[in-house]
Formats: sequence, structure tokens, C-alpha cells
Amino acid sequence: MSGDDTLKRIEEAIVRGDKERSSQLVDEALREVDPLAVIQRGMTPAMEKVGDLFSSGEIFLPDMMMAAEAWNEAMALLKPKMLAAGERVAKIGTVVIGTVQSDVHEIGKNIVATLMGTAGFEVHDLGVNIPASTFIGKAEEVNADIIAASAIMTTTMTYQRDVLEHLMASGLRDKYIVMVGGGVVNQEWADEIGADGYGETAVIGVRLAKELLARRRGG
Amino acid sequence: MVSFHEILERTTKGPIMSPKDFDMKVFIPKVREVVEKYTIRYDPDTPCPADDDLADRIYQAAFDLYADVGTYVIDTERVIRFSRKEIEDAIYEAPKEAYFGEGPDRCVFKGRKPDDSEIPHCHVGSGTDTTEDVALKMVEAYGRISKAKTVSIPSVTTFGHLKSAAGSPVETLAGISMMRTGREGLRRAGRPGMGIINHMSSCAHGVSTIAASNPDFGARPSDGWLIAPQAELKIDYSSLNQVAYLTSWGANIGQEAGPIMGGYAGGPEGTAVVATAYCFHGILVARATYHLTYPVHMTYVASTTPEMLYVVSTSGQAVSRNVDVPYYALGYAAAGSATKQYFYEAAAYLLAIQSSGMGIEDVHPNKAVVTNGALPIDSEFTCSLGHGMAGITRKEANQIIKRLMETYLGGIKDPPRGRILNECYDIRTMKPDDELRRIHDEAIRELSGLGIRFK
Repeated sequence: MSGDDTLKRIEEAIVRGDKERSSQLVDEALREVDPLAVIQRGMTPAMEKVGDLFSSGEIFLPDMMMAAEAWNEAMALLKPKMLAAGERVAKIGTVVIGTVQSDVHEIGKNIVATLMGTAGFEVHDLGVNIPASTFIGKAEEVNADIIAASAIMTTTMTYQRDVLEHLMASGLRDKYIVMVGGGVVNQEWADEIGADGYGETAVIGVRLAKELLARRRGG
Repeated sequence: MVSFHEILERTTKGPIMSPKDFDMKVFIPKVREVVEKYTIRYDPDTPCPADDDLADRIYQAAFDLYADVGTYVIDTERVIRFSRKEIEDAIYEAPKEAYFGEGPDRCVFKGRKPDDSEIPHCHVGSGTDTTEDVALKMVEAYGRISKAKTVSIPSVTTFGHLKSAAGSPVETLAGISMMRTGREGLRRAGRPGMGIINHMSSCAHGVSTIAASNPDFGARPSDGWLIAPQAELKIDYSSLNQVAYLTSWGANIGQEAGPIMGGYAGGPEGTAVVATAYCFHGILVARATYHLTYPVHMTYVASTTPEMLYVVSTSGQAVSRNVDVPYYALGYAAAGSATKQYFYEAAAYLLAIQSSGMGIEDVHPNKAVVTNGALPIDSEFTCSLGHGMAGITRKEANQIIKRLMETYLGGIKDPPRGRILNECYDIRTMKPDDELRRIHDEAIRELSGLGIRFK
């Protein structure tokens, strides 16, 4: 089997969420191609395809999570080899994400976190019911580019505003791109509280995160 | 039935599991397994199937799912599990009727069957975000709809100039204020005994809900309190605290669940199974006397797409054919109020749930995210259709729904915003303006031409 064939099979196995098979194929591929090629020509196209299929409603969250698990497991195999070879995977940026205080809804936030991770962001998922100061503390700790705050209820949206107000109070507002999302959130609300971006869907959110980051970096 | 004390015991003695393991290793694989085992298939051409065998297979799949998976307790990271015999006993003993309200406004809400000739339970109103200045008028307008048996009161997120936030003291004050407003609005409508069955719409937390439920503020055990799980099949102490309070008081508890199509449940087939399984969770864990379902589309939120109609219709049939409990559904239209698309979407959803054996509730406009977006005319439409279409079969409903979808599916992704209450009603008299009346009358004429009867 040629290296290209194997990379194609890696792509298919990840799309299927078959982590055993994808890891096995990554091992095989490494006999013929370098780790970076496995990522760029096998794994990245797989997650792009997963994102497209998810976006068009052809696959659902469980399929995407299983694909992401397969991707993560393959990455765990590749990372030591890349370090040994002095290579590194270029990350797009670093995101701190969570659901705001008093809100325990996680599905939308999980989808965004998964898609961001597989799109090349380093993602720090804080979980649910996260106070504003925790978002900021983590962002400072990991030197994040983006803070993404999710809220699903009209009575918890207000805690998205808190994240921005805490940033302003700490003199850190301009340091971070702040994105908001969630079932009841809309562009009007994002504008009202002074957020930098709002994604109506997870796919739009990830695309916007890339755009905002590129704009900030003068791209 | 397993006692509530035993449930509480299991919250601290059930198997320990991380939430991720519950989702990834237990819930998701089991949903997939039962969908395959019972060959549950979604046909986009049949949004409202008249297939008893499919409904019963979905029921069996949901039973297997719940017997294996149980309910996850977020605070203790344990699982409450039940034997098949315990679930069967619970179904047998579950309350088959819920009594709401008092005096002349008292009513009974019973389960129906698919293709039932009985008029469905007509529930009106909306717990969506509403400004304080119009909330009283809204409740009064709902109460004046004579065909309505029970009412939902609005959610307010302010208390005077203070903004409410989940878990804050302002939320408690907003909840108390809305409780009083709801009762006063119904008194003004001449129906002081009418049951309010969406407590506490203004409160997200158990503490504020319980505080606002003090009878001094107008709450009665003959009202109804909605207890929501977390997606999917998870519950927290905040909800269980409400159950503890309400069962001690003898109040009606409604199990509400909005399984997410495209989320952990997967596609329409898995979501139909999970929506059905919530009924078992509701009876056993939430101690429900009535049940509300509102499956939502993960991307569009709207409930009027063919797959969402399939989910609510088939899960409704699965429950109504096999578990004789008061059961109703709430839908979300993509379009805003005061648009023709809203009435078309609402008609499709109402026909699907009514013919599938469920009670009906207003379809909420604008995916329920626009403040003051719900209108009393939507509620009048719901009741008028519910009475006019008594006896509609699933087969007839499916045909009409398909014709309705041809008119609105193109507008789901980018729906018309419509107008909010303040833009199309005289708030003093609560009468719709001429333009809204014209749109409504035109929609009724067109819908009548498709075979929908209004009474």
C-alpha cells in the first residue's frame, strides 16, 4: 500500500470515528511519510470533512466526538515523534472556553470546543458554571488569544457581560478577543455588551474565531 | 413504584461515573444500539407517520435504553438505575390524570391516543422573555381565551430597574413578582382559579423557584411546576430539591424535556427514542403528574422541520399508545409572530402533535428568543385549530403537513422576524392592529383551503 493510500485510509477511519483503526494506520503511515504529512494530508482533511458533514446535518454530535477522539489518539502517537524530529504542529491560536456562571448547559459549548480543537486551536475547556474571574485567570495563565463564553438562558446571558466587565476592570479588555454564543444569544446582545464576535452556529463561530484572530494579527 | 426516598438513596449509592463516561461510554452507544436493534428509520417523506408498529418499537427501544442507562446525577457523579420490573411498575402506577386549577376553572388533563376523536387539552401562553410593563396584560389576554384550560405565564428578567441573573436575589424577587402578576392577570380575566402550569418561568434555580412558590405570593398546589433535566438524562440537586419541596406539598410536577436532535441523541431516530425515555425518567425521578416534551434542532432550534416533526410525532405516539399519562408538546417556529409563515409552521406542528395523541400548546414564534415575541393571537389560533381538528388522523395530518412544509421550509434558515407585541397590539385594549388581523385572517383562509378546520 502506498503512503497516499494509507493517508486516505486514515482520513476515512477518523471520519468514521474508528480510533483503533486510525491509530494502527498512523503507525503504518509513519514507515513511509513523516509525522507532519500524516497530520496535513490525512488527519486535517478528515476533520475538515467531519466539520462539513456536521454542518450539513449528515452526521451528529456523537459522530463528531468519536472522530475527535480518533484524531486525539492519533495525535498522541505523533507528538513524541514530532518532538524527537524537532517538528511542531503550528497552532492557530489559544482559546479559553466555558459556559458562564449559573449555567450548566454544555452541548453547544462542547461542539464549539471540539471543532476549534480540530481546526488547529489549542483549546482550554473550563466546563460549565464558570465565574468571570476563572475565564480571565485561565486566559492569563495560558496566554490565550480568545475567550469564548457560552450561555443558554436569558437569566445567564448577563454573566457574559460580567466577563467583559471583569476584563475592563482588570485593564485586560484589549488583550483578548471575546466571543459569545448560546441558544438565546444574538448579534444584538453581543453588540450591546461589547463582545468582539458572536457565532449563531458552532461552524460559524469557529470560522469567525479564525477571522477575528487573523484581523488582530493584521492578516 | 420506587419511592422518592429510594431515589434519593440511589443518588448517593448508585454507580460512580464521570459525566463524560456517562455520555460517551453508556448513553451514546446504547442509543445507537437500540435504534439498530428495533430498526427505527426516519423517512423525510413521512413527518407524521401512521405506523403503530414503529411507535411501539420506539417505545421498546426507549424502555431498553432507560433500563440500561438510568438517570445521571450531576452533583454526586452517580447513576440512578432501575430494574425493568421497577420501570414497568412505575408505568402502571403513574398518575393518569392531572388536576389543575380551582373552582369553576378547575380542569382535568388526561392522556389521549393517536387519531383520538377527543378535543386535546389546550394549553396557552408562553414562558418566554417578556417585559414587566406588558406581562400583566399578556396573562389577562391568555386568561380570556375561553377554550384554554391551563396557562403559561411569561418570564421576566427584571425587577424594576434591577436586571435578574440566574441564582441572584433579583431572580427570586422577579419570580415572586411574576407569581403575583400571573394570579392577578387571571383574576382580571375572570378566571382566578385557572391553573398556571409552567412555574417558575422567571427562575432558573431551585432556590428562587421554591422561594417564589410560597402560597402567600399566589402559588397553589393545583398549579404545575416544570422540572427540567440536563441533556441528556441528567439531573442536578437544584431540580431534585424542587421535587422534594413539591412532593412534600402535594403539588403537580411536570416533567419537561427538550432532547436535542443532532446532540448526544444523534439523529431523528435516536432523538425520538430519547424523547420517549424521558417519560420514564419523569415518572420515576421527577415524580411527574404531567409531561411536556419539546425536542429541538441543534442548529435551527425550530421544531417545524420534517425531522423534528417526525421526532415529536413518533415519540408522542410511543408514549400515548403505551403509557397513559397527560402528555403535551411545545414547538418553536422559525418565523416571528404576525407573519403568515408563523401560522403555517404552527399549523404543521399542532396537527402533528394533536393527531399523535398529545395535548397542544402554542407554538412559540422566533424560536422563543425575542422579548415580547409571543402574541395572544397565537394562543387563539392554537385553541381554534385544536377544537376544529378534533378527530384528525395521523394519515390526514401527514398529507396536510407536507403541503404546509412546501410553503415554509425555504424560510426556516432565514425566517421573517415579524413583529413583537408592542409593534402590533394596542397594549391598552390588547387588540391586534389591522395589519395583523389581515395577515391572520388571510392565513386562516388559506389554511382552511388546505383542509384545516377552525372552531
